[in-house]
Amino acid sequence: MKSLLATLALTTALTFPGLAMARPVTLTTTLNSYGGDGAYLALYVTDASGAYVGSLWMAGGKSKYYEHLSDWYRATGGDAGQVNGITGASVGAGRTLEITLDLADALFDAGYTLHIDAAAEDMRDSPNEVAVPLTNGGTGSPVAGRRYIASFTYN
Amino acid sequence: MKKILTLLVASTALTVAIGVPAWSAMHAPTDGVLRSVAALFDDSAQTMSLAQAGDDGDDDNHWQERTSRGHDDDDDCGNFEDDDDDDDDDDCRNGTRNPKPAGTVAPPQNGLFGNGAPPQVQVN
Repeated sequence: MKSLLATLALTTALTFPGLAMARPVTLTTTLNSYGGDGAYLALYVTDASGAYVGSLWMAGGKSKYYEHLSDWYRATGGDAGQVNGITGASVGAGRTLEITLDLADALFDAGYTLHIDAAAEDMRDSPNEVAVPLTNGGTGSPVAGRRYIASFTYN
Repeated sequence: MKKILTLLVASTALTVAIGVPAWSAMHAPTDGVLRSVAALFDDSAQTMSLAQAGDDGDDDNHWQERTSRGHDDDDDCGNFEDDDDDDDDDDCRNGTRNPKPAGTVAPPQNGLFGNGAPPQVQVN
């Protein structure tokens, strides 16, 4: 019985850390009423050296317009495979996009930065519209964009 | 004693049920968190540094100057009949260069995601 207890305690102790390796994070992006068509948004992460790590979300499903998300495009070569399974519709002016993702804990307080590139038809492209460090202390703090994004928060 | 045993069995079952998929995701053959965190620094020399992009933040080129929705002249997808609508059409039938929408395939294993749970999205 004691060995069974010890085994169970050990397996529990070993598996619990695995649960703490990711957490649900909600990314909330509210657009300004800029008076144009729906905006394409690329949400992606760079490391402490500024190198592209990966994409979190792509708002806008037609890859031929991705070149207007110019920093993301430059970093990925426009590879649509980077956003397979994390792509949704473009976001209308004045609308709020809420995405909940299961993100690795290792992303927080480790020098990573979340970027958003934005573009809308017949309007100026806006690369790096938002750049916010991923920290535990930064959760819930709204960050304003430069052109299309009124505010961005992660919780 | 029985109570403790029951609790431990239950907690083990729970953690295994949740932990195994997470563990599997972490040990995917190509990219997982462990790989990616270590590889970030190795790959950094090969990937473009966005910090050094030298972009002043604004791109003066307008959408239509480089792509035209009214006149689809790009070659990546020959089947686009109607470019006026946005996001309504699916992948190109012959090229499939558009990304797969969320929910149809798992998120990419780029090390950013935890256990591969599908993203939840809402537009208000």
